[in-house]
Amino acid sequence: MIDINSKINSFFIFNSTFGPKEGEELKRILFFHPNQVTADARKIQVGLCEAVVKFMSTFSSEPCEALQTQTKRYIFFQPEKNYWMVLVVRLPYPTKSMSSIAEKRGDMIQPVMMQNLLVTAYKMFRMFVGLFSDIPAEDIYTKCQQFFTPYILSRNITNDVTNVIQGINYLPLEKNSFFKVVCFIDLLEINYSDFKCIAFIYNEQLIWNGLSTDDMLTLYQYLVQSLLPKQVEKEIQGGAVTAAQRHGRFISPPDGIHTLDDIQKLVKVYLKLEDDTETKQYYLIIYRTLSATICLTVDAKKTLELETFRSLDAFIGPQLYNIASTVSEQCTVHALQNAQLANTENKFIYFNRLNLAFKTSAPINTLTPSAAIKPEVLTIIAELHSDRKSLGNYGEIIIKTLDEYWITGKSSNEREFYVVIQKKNANIIEVAEEVKQICEAQMKGIFFYPI
Amino acid sequence: MASTSKDTVSTNVTSQEDIDDDLLPGACPESVLNPTDSFEEFETEMSSNPQERHSSLTTKCSTISEIQSEIGESSKDMKTVKSSDDLKGKDEAMSSSASSSNLTDQNGDGVDSDKDEYLQSPELVNKEKHVFILSSAGKPIYSRYGNEDKLAGLCGVIQALVSVVEDQNQDILRSINTKDCKAVFLVKGPLILVAVSKSNESETQLVMQLTYAFNQIVSVLTLTQLNRIFEQRRNYDLRRLLAGAERLIDNLLIFMEKDPAFLLGAVRCLPLPEKARENITNAIISTCNKIRDLVFAIMIAGNQLITLVRMKKYTLHPSDIHLLFNFVRSSESFKTAESWTPICLPKFDATGFLHGHVSYISEDCQACLLLLTVQRDAFYPLSQAKHTIAEKLEKLKCIGAINDALNRSKDLPTTNPLKHIGIPIIRHFMYKCKSTAQLFTSDPISLDRLQDYRMMHREGGDITVKKIEKLSDIDYVKNYRKFCNQIHCATVPAKFIFRSNSQDTILAWITNGFELYVTFDPLVEKEQTKKAVDHLLQWIKREENRIFIMNAPTF
Repeated sequence: MIDINSKINSFFIFNSTFGPKEGEELKRILFFHPNQVTADARKIQVGLCEAVVKFMSTFSSEPCEALQTQTKRYIFFQPEKNYWMVLVVRLPYPTKSMSSIAEKRGDMIQPVMMQNLLVTAYKMFRMFVGLFSDIPAEDIYTKCQQFFTPYILSRNITNDVTNVIQGINYLPLEKNSFFKVVCFIDLLEINYSDFKCIAFIYNEQLIWNGLSTDDMLTLYQYLVQSLLPKQVEKEIQGGAVTAAQRHGRFISPPDGIHTLDDIQKLVKVYLKLEDDTETKQYYLIIYRTLSATICLTVDAKKTLELETFRSLDAFIGPQLYNIASTVSEQCTVHALQNAQLANTENKFIYFNRLNLAFKTSAPINTLTPSAAIKPEVLTIIAELHSDRKSLGNYGEIIIKTLDEYWITGKSSNEREFYVVIQKKNANIIEVAEEVKQICEAQMKGIFFYPI
Repeated sequence: MASTSKDTVSTNVTSQEDIDDDLLPGACPESVLNPTDSFEEFETEMSSNPQERHSSLTTKCSTISEIQSEIGESSKDMKTVKSSDDLKGKDEAMSSSASSSNLTDQNGDGVDSDKDEYLQSPELVNKEKHVFILSSAGKPIYSRYGNEDKLAGLCGVIQALVSVVEDQNQDILRSINTKDCKAVFLVKGPLILVAVSKSNESETQLVMQLTYAFNQIVSVLTLTQLNRIFEQRRNYDLRRLLAGAERLIDNLLIFMEKDPAFLLGAVRCLPLPEKARENITNAIISTCNKIRDLVFAIMIAGNQLITLVRMKKYTLHPSDIHLLFNFVRSSESFKTAESWTPICLPKFDATGFLHGHVSYISEDCQACLLLLTVQRDAFYPLSQAKHTIAEKLEKLKCIGAINDALNRSKDLPTTNPLKHIGIPIIRHFMYKCKSTAQLFTSDPISLDRLQDYRMMHREGGDITVKKIEKLSDIDYVKNYRKFCNQIHCATVPAKFIFRSNSQDTILAWITNGFELYVTFDPLVEKEQTKKAVDHLLQWIKREENRIFIMNAPTF
């Protein structure tokens, strides 16, 4: 794991049109982390970034993405016109000895991880606070401060494949169980026509989704990385779960919905539902029973009654309990089957760009570091993932590293499949054969060419 | 060197285990070229801090004075060919275009307006690769396209960017990226070099090209003189001393984009029958072994090395040879008359000039002989030596052999290697023998084709989207760039890459002894490629005496 505070040099957001005149430079800086940096130092940093952006604009119509110096890497992201988010990371100080190169690899933050961090931070902001350009100029400084300070401090950048390829972990269910889930959602939406179910999650795996994939990823990340871990922690600390909690409760707002005041505490989000033509503001209501979590939305313009929530609780509670139990049984069976498959040292990653489906042999929450993918291998996977042109619509690449790692990447239209094998004295034909077997065992029915 | 390489090959063989230990095509116990990998060199360069870099540029002992003291010459006034009077002479009011470092000023109002418009003019817009060279005071020295006089504003911005980053804890500006464009910065001594590229070259490859451009300037001035000029006058307009060198840099930039020799840090040899090369070498040795000050005798043709005879103990670095290739090819005047010219070889000795007798061997042969000495007034003895050598070569019928190779006579196996090897799935390959820093590709460049490159480039170096029907060898080499970069990557080097897609199948393989890049048909079987590579290596081994220089002759 990378200690965020020692590696992130700074994170800031600026808009040069906010203080166009000389002497107004500070107005251009909407947010700056860390807070203790002096005004002069902020001005210099932002000034440099403004100059870099302008310099590159004379040569390219694409926005500036990165600035690299001997000791730092700056990653730029322009989510809305003139609004720039910049993340600055210190690089391990290079020395000439070889031993430090190994160290350097382990410490390295992948540029694509930094880029993902910025993009995710922005999308979270957009979901919970709105577009930068919609926020009145006098409010933007406080809004950014309120949102980004806790956000950036809560981020753990681990050198993990899930930070390189951001996807959604889907839970495959057999027909009947899936049908139960869909029936339940339909029934709910018919009985409570103001409410829309936008996500059904079991543990950390998605079963059903009613959002565009882009918004879904953000909501999924919010649930899986921020809300649910806190909730699970609370449940564990609470010891024996009370009988009432077994039958489910609203977990957002955190203390449930019992009074009219609680309704005021409901989180509002900007989302685009399946039938929407544009982004609208909704109340986000999250309900949980056992390991099953559902997210509901209501138009933010609607007036909400306490009675509705009581009735909703009575409706969802028992049904969700049933479904959660069924799914739980299936998961146990799955886990047993997977345990038999997964007793090899080899690792694989599957990703589908269309529905963001992501599957990996490495455990998602890496408790055992030995099961994680080595940073140098991750670097190669990150490069393959970000360079789509190299493989085209179908293709295959096999790379061997100095440490006898064989990394295979395959693409088939929007799908990607990577396998990491560590094997001494192997040759390409043996490796290809092994990859083929893993592909058949794990990805039955998905066609990769060349086979 | 070869013996160590052999060991490691046998332990490192990955996909081609059955290669026997003796098969290391092109390796020989002693090399005429200094095989230091330029990649490692550039990486060290990239990682040192500014103070170290500065010292490495200034404190180097002079190889030339070493040679002179050995042969008992006084070394006085060796390095002052262009006198410094020249500098003090015409004094011009030179305004400092480099406003200290207030970037926010640059941004606000000031620099922009008409100068920025010039950057959008047809001369400059839509170019695949720009190269700018300026002094650390921000004065324009060279621009690949357009008129550098009109780029003072841009140079000011570059200088300001570099110095703002430098002011922050002695940091160094390296590169800026957008999705389609890279700007790479190199601060070297008193100069700032910048490449802005939309090509698929990596940052390291671009830094290497900038280093070459810097070395090209050093080869005209020497590092000593370059440093002294800017110590005396920070604002000096270097263009006054570099008249003519712009063309050298122009040509060098094209040369680097087209020839894989730069990608691999190796030198291409003209394929010749072993006997012919031996005769040429012997003719040079027997003629020149009495000339005490002669350091190198080099015969080249069409950017390929024919032979190199050297003073014991000294070798040449491939990058110096590349500069010599570029120098000879860029100077039409050598074709008409024997010339006597000072030349600094930056890797050999950046502090001083060697003196070169340069001439073509005969009217009907494109081979050029360079005799490099530390003696300032050796024109006549060297001229005489050249004529003797030319006569001997004529007598030994070597001229014919050279011409056959240059004209790519159909009978030679090296003229169309792919046909001779006879494996239809191989479309292109390039091979570098690491211990001798020599390379061979399936498509040896001939003279007339080199002219083509220059013609093609004269059309402007614009980015064009052309539909490729048949790849030229340059296209193949462009495809290898990414593979080369991954193989030589400092942090995560790959040993072996196999990539297959709908366009083609490319294999890149590095061992301690060689580097090999092969393009096959798309979607070929892995078994087939394995067999093809075995076969290919055997062919190179069989022809090694013809395609490589397998010894390291001395006077």
